[in-house]
Amino acid sequence: MKKIALSLAIAAAILSSGFTYAAETNPSNFIKEAFSKEFAQIKEVKWDIVGKDGIYQANFTFNNESLQAFFTEDGEFLGTNRQISKAQLPILIARELNKAYPEADIRAVFEYSMKDGLAYYVTLTTSKGAMVVKATGNGELTVRQRSKQ
Amino acid sequence: MAGLVLAAILFVNSAFAHKSETVNEKVQAAFKQEFVQAKEVNWNRTDNYLKAVFKLNDAVLSAYYTEDGELIGVMKNLLSTELPINLQTSLKKEYNDYWITDLFEFAKQDATGYFITVENADQVITLQSTDGFTWSTFRKAKK
Repeated sequence: MKKIALSLAIAAAILSSGFTYAAETNPSNFIKEAFSKEFAQIKEVKWDIVGKDGIYQANFTFNNESLQAFFTEDGEFLGTNRQISKAQLPILIARELNKAYPEADIRAVFEYSMKDGLAYYVTLTTSKGAMVVKATGNGELTVRQRSKQ
Repeated sequence: MAGLVLAAILFVNSAFAHKSETVNEKVQAAFKQEFVQAKEVNWNRTDNYLKAVFKLNDAVLSAYYTEDGELIGVMKNLLSTELPINLQTSLKKEYNDYWITDLFEFAKQDATGYFITVENADQVITLQSTDGFTWSTFRKAKK
């Protein structure tokens, strides 16, 4: 149950995209070791606490891309988040988005990679407004937020 | 999932296109239904299938159809930096001293997979991932 709550907290942070509750911090060596295990070659990391559930967010550059990795206070690796281009969307997601919203423009895409699965949060705009759609690798789409223009 | 792997093998081994083709209306209609916003569509005939090369969301894709308009699969060549992050980090951890000779995404109906071929001086390894998170060995051969 705690894992689900943490996943939801990270998803909420991604959806708000401003990481409202982020505060710079220096995590325990335990968390730093967990980070090094996952990303051994990364030396420069900026740490934040995200939300109210004690999730630690590591901000760093990987393969010339800005990346965030999330850890619990126990040092458990939860997953990563990065912004990608619409050309990088998996084939089935690109196909289903174009079928479901043929008039929409894709404005932003975030790849959210967790141990329990891979998900993409896509911000779309149409003449009627904007929406955030969650997409999974098999092309399943769920509208998570809508705002009218 | 086995169907996805078999289809991917088929295209890795035989997806050499011949001259440009015009295709029948059945295939055209099936393509337009699946890829509503496709741009710059070019049709070719491979040994066994009709192949549409087109742009969707700025990405170049290849879709394979039978003469009856059945979609067999869709392929996209990738750079290693376009892989989901966990697949990139796994490669760095386990195959850092190999070089990449082939990398593509292959989708069939509601399943998608990533296939990468890496080599070193001694062997050629093809890995597959169907969850976008972990690699498994698809085939391995000594040079």
